[in-house]
Amino acid sequence: MALTEKISMAPDERCDHAARTGSPIIDARNVAVTFKVEGGTVDAVKDVSFQLYRGETIAVVGESGSGKSVTARTVMGLLTKRATVAVHSRIEYDGKNVLKFSDRQRRALRGDRISMIFQEPMSSLNPVYTVGAQIIEAIRVHQKMSRKQAAERTLELLRQVQIPDPESRFNQYPHQLSGGQRQRVMIAMALANNPDVLIADEPTTALDVTVQAQILNLIRDLQQKLGMAVILITHDLTVVRQFSDYVYVMSQGEVKEHNTTDALFKSPQHPYTRHLLASEPKGMANPPPVDSAVILEGSNVRVSFMLKHGGFFRSRLKELVAVDSLSLKLHRHETLGLVGESGSGKTTFGQALVKLLTADGGEIFFDGEPIHARTRDQMRPLRSRMQVVFQDPFSSLNPRMSVGQIIEEGLIVNRLGDNKSDRLARVEQALVSAGLPHNILSRFPHEFSGGQRQRIAIARAIALEPEFILLDEPTSALDLSVQAQIIDLLRKLQDERGLSYLFISHDLKVVRALCHRVVVMQHGKIVEEGPVDEVLSHPKTAYTERLVKAAFEVAA
Amino acid sequence: MKADVQPAISTSVPPAKGHGNETYTALVWRRLKRSWTGMIGLILVCLLMIMTIFAEFFAPVDPKLTGVGFAPPQTISMTDRDGNFVFPPRTYQIRETEELDPVTFQPIVGPDYENPQSLGFFVKGFEYSLFGLIPAQRHFFGATDGSPVNFLGTDKFGRDVLSRIIYGSRISLMIALTVVFIITVVGTTVGMVSGYFGGRLDAWVQRFVELVLAFPQLPLYLALTSLIPVTAPTNVFLAFVIFVMSALGWAQMSREVRGKTLALARIDYVRAAMAIGATDRRIIFQHIFPNVMSHVIVAVTLAIPNVVLLESFLGFLGFAVKPPLISWGLMLQDTATYSVIGSYPWILAPVGFVLVTVFAFNALGDGLRDAVDPY
Repeated sequence: MALTEKISMAPDERCDHAARTGSPIIDARNVAVTFKVEGGTVDAVKDVSFQLYRGETIAVVGESGSGKSVTARTVMGLLTKRATVAVHSRIEYDGKNVLKFSDRQRRALRGDRISMIFQEPMSSLNPVYTVGAQIIEAIRVHQKMSRKQAAERTLELLRQVQIPDPESRFNQYPHQLSGGQRQRVMIAMALANNPDVLIADEPTTALDVTVQAQILNLIRDLQQKLGMAVILITHDLTVVRQFSDYVYVMSQGEVKEHNTTDALFKSPQHPYTRHLLASEPKGMANPPPVDSAVILEGSNVRVSFMLKHGGFFRSRLKELVAVDSLSLKLHRHETLGLVGESGSGKTTFGQALVKLLTADGGEIFFDGEPIHARTRDQMRPLRSRMQVVFQDPFSSLNPRMSVGQIIEEGLIVNRLGDNKSDRLARVEQALVSAGLPHNILSRFPHEFSGGQRQRIAIARAIALEPEFILLDEPTSALDLSVQAQIIDLLRKLQDERGLSYLFISHDLKVVRALCHRVVVMQHGKIVEEGPVDEVLSHPKTAYTERLVKAAFEVAA
Repeated sequence: MKADVQPAISTSVPPAKGHGNETYTALVWRRLKRSWTGMIGLILVCLLMIMTIFAEFFAPVDPKLTGVGFAPPQTISMTDRDGNFVFPPRTYQIRETEELDPVTFQPIVGPDYENPQSLGFFVKGFEYSLFGLIPAQRHFFGATDGSPVNFLGTDKFGRDVLSRIIYGSRISLMIALTVVFIITVVGTTVGMVSGYFGGRLDAWVQRFVELVLAFPQLPLYLALTSLIPVTAPTNVFLAFVIFVMSALGWAQMSREVRGKTLALARIDYVRAAMAIGATDRRIIFQHIFPNVMSHVIVAVTLAIPNVVLLESFLGFLGFAVKPPLISWGLMLQDTATYSVIGSYPWILAPVGFVLVTVFAFNALGDGLRDAVDPY
């Protein structure tokens, strides 16, 4: 059956094979890569075949761990020493098998005929050289050109990637550029030698939503202008739909299904594809009971940080206002979304409201009690009633503590539960409520996947039976399908327990699925607020409009 | 055609198989086993420890027994004087002969061919009590008739160098372990408190740490040495040596721990503990200390050889424990004169043991460093 499945949904040849003329520029057949790890090997890529024709964009979609990046690195010959490519694998570039190339031949190919841009523009540029110097080097490695000619070509490239004021950027260092500009520099560097193939490995994941669309549009424009072929690796289906001609769906090291973009989105065949398409966050939160009491209120909350600003004998301080006199009210059984780009102060505001940070001004009331003047010790009796779930489940669980210890700690600290067995019963109940089996108490966080870890973090919060939970981007570090599960879980918990959530996010899709009201922040100020449908369907400010567009249609 | 799609709400947890649910120690052990230098270090450290604990058993001769001064190492031969093969192997004690050197009129020393000593394992020798309790007289290696053999020669009073080295490892390693224990406790406490609470306290503590680090160490050690009255009893002297060596060492340790604590205090699980309402004490002991511990263990294994080196070096300069205690540093005090080294190089033998010790702990520390952070 496995064989028939493969033939019906993921044959080695492309589905639009007959309509194509000419031969593909990259033709990969049965690529398999294994990694040596402690205690054995891992088959990162089991069987991947794909073809790429000149001038088109193919997308490789999959969740983390599906092997999509490893496939790309195999094409580039950038695998680590621990990886072995199976002998029967073949990757042909222009009819030549690149897997048989010597190191020298590979270097000649890499960055010249095939180039790649990476996810993290911060770490892909060398901080001690100017942007110009780095691009010039990329050119002169592959082409015989004088320094002056190369500099001219660099300026031309910087203009091509639409960096404002390219002449002055040329002499700047990477830290002087924004994330989006750095990614543009990376693209310029990748284009330096007019490659035939550009591999973009999650090129926008590390960027703000509004910048994402600009970068993707730029890649598309350049592709059309220069006639490159592009392999776009992503987990974001919205991106795939808008920017690719042909889609390969990968999971667990195999291509599960591939088809032209239109056909794939119209009639997905493989259950995994269907599952992936269905996992876009959807649905709405059930409406809260009308006239419920206010549980958390902040008025004129202000948080600022003192930054050292030069000065030799006496450090001159510069004040950075992260949260500028903001007010909000959160009712019981309600979810309030706090939305904004990175640096808008939303996390700072959230943490100040639960007193994980000290505000310099304003008043905060929890269930009618003023808490803005309370010290950490005075806050302790309230801690079990207000909980926090953090963004990154990999750093929010202590690696040296077992799941049981992690969840039980809050009970011990707050003196909940009469004795050890009562506490354990509560821990098990919290785990079950969070959708985890109850028999994992003695296991450690590193044994679990990201989604499961986030469930453990949620179990830690709900074990204390809080009334209010601050959710600080709880889904943004997770895969799409896991995201949907966590959202369902949060909704279910809210309905069962009447919880109130303050939900911090940059992703309006998730916000729409979970929140009743939304507050939009920019540069430490609130720019817009209201019921979620109203704000998302009729944004009043240009900033909100940009965020909405970025979330729902990418091509802003 | 059922695909591996997870249900919407509950989640399937991978079964506890393979190395997924290994304890932390098991993970560290498996990774340490991969580093062969680390394993060599571990084996050498174990051998050294066994040798130190059972020093009486391994020492062939009573370290206080005197004989011919500066006797060269005895050679082990498989043949007798006429070249015939003999078993067990034998050796000849160094004796003063009747003849005098025609130039110096000193008695000529040389192997006593008349009385061969045959060698063996688990022989009876001088009496001792194991751990101060069990009377015994078996020795690992020695002459079968119980007479003294000097495999590494003798020192100026005619005491056996090898036996003194084996006994000396006790004091040397005891000093190293005590000093490292003290600097670890002080350094870790200061580092964690300073890094966790931060602010003004941190600033002042760090200035003080810098002051300690900036001290010129050698003159300070020698100055402190002159403070000890010569008439002080040996145990007071030993305590003082330990105190002087610990006085400066903790600063470096506290720096490392503080850096690690600073990073840990900003990690989400510490913030999560604060959100739960945990006290500072709980956060330090439950969340920061276990995560700092792995780095401390590595720092400890790398600090031990430093103290061993320091002890032998200070000993060479004249600052060592007082007899009747024996330490490697004290033995090296005798090597301070060039003429002595030139004529009797075997008294440098403790250097070889210092070398092995330093290598063993360093190799183990390097192996551990790679192994302690498996996540």
